[in-house]
Amino acid sequence: MEPIAYVARLNEFYRSQGFPPYKWTINDSAPLTPMRRPLSECRIALLTSGGVSRKDAAPFNPQARNDLRVDPIANDTAADFFTIHDDYYNHADAERDINCIFPLERLRELAAEGVIGSVAPHHYSGFMGRTYIRTAVMNEAAPALARKLRDESVDAFVLVPA
Amino acid sequence: MVEASGIPTVVVSTGRDLSAQVLPPRTVFVNFPMGNSFGQPFDAHQQRTILLDALRALESIKRGGEMIDLPYEWPEPFAMNLGSGYSKSA
Repeated sequence: MEPIAYVARLNEFYRSQGFPPYKWTINDSAPLTPMRRPLSECRIALLTSGGVSRKDAAPFNPQARNDLRVDPIANDTAADFFTIHDDYYNHADAERDINCIFPLERLRELAAEGVIGSVAPHHYSGFMGRTYIRTAVMNEAAPALARKLRDESVDAFVLVPA
Repeated sequence: MVEASGIPTVVVSTGRDLSAQVLPPRTVFVNFPMGNSFGQPFDAHQQRTILLDALRALESIKRGGEMIDLPYEWPEPFAMNLGSGYSKSA
């Protein structure tokens, strides 16, 4: 099937609700940092924006606005020790198996097999939607996360938006 | 921002048009429902395959903004699922 036209559908939805048009981020170029070493020597971390939290942390608030919360998720967290709070996509499958959106177990297997060098000590969950303060994201939250990744010698970062 | 700090990134996207306008440094697009980026629950083989595709894209994509369309098909047609949040407020 053809990919879903999310942008057109969402624009239509906002219009039908009488909201002002959403100001999409539209970039016409992207930076690229080359890989420094082969995958088999790289330390990898994951990011999910799907409202995923450990069961011993407070759940995310799906209705919050401008929530810049980003949780570190220890890599040894058990796959069934998560809860998902997000009202903007269907996470029924991911609640049964977190690997549907946050493939921790698959990443650990690839490290055990030597396909990647290692898994980072922490992954991250945050950057929920409904964020209208792009400057704060770009100037504060994203650089803070980049620092944590560097502190743990992460070589590459896999981002999974939801 | 993370790229600018020297760490390569790859996005695993289920929203082709959304990613095409944000233009992350590297994207692999999988035409699955949002919430199933790596496929079906407990289908470890499919999950691993898509994760490996993403990891390999870290090496194979040499031009910022490039997107790779992965060839996998969801077993049945699916609609956009707006989620309950959109009926509360947007």
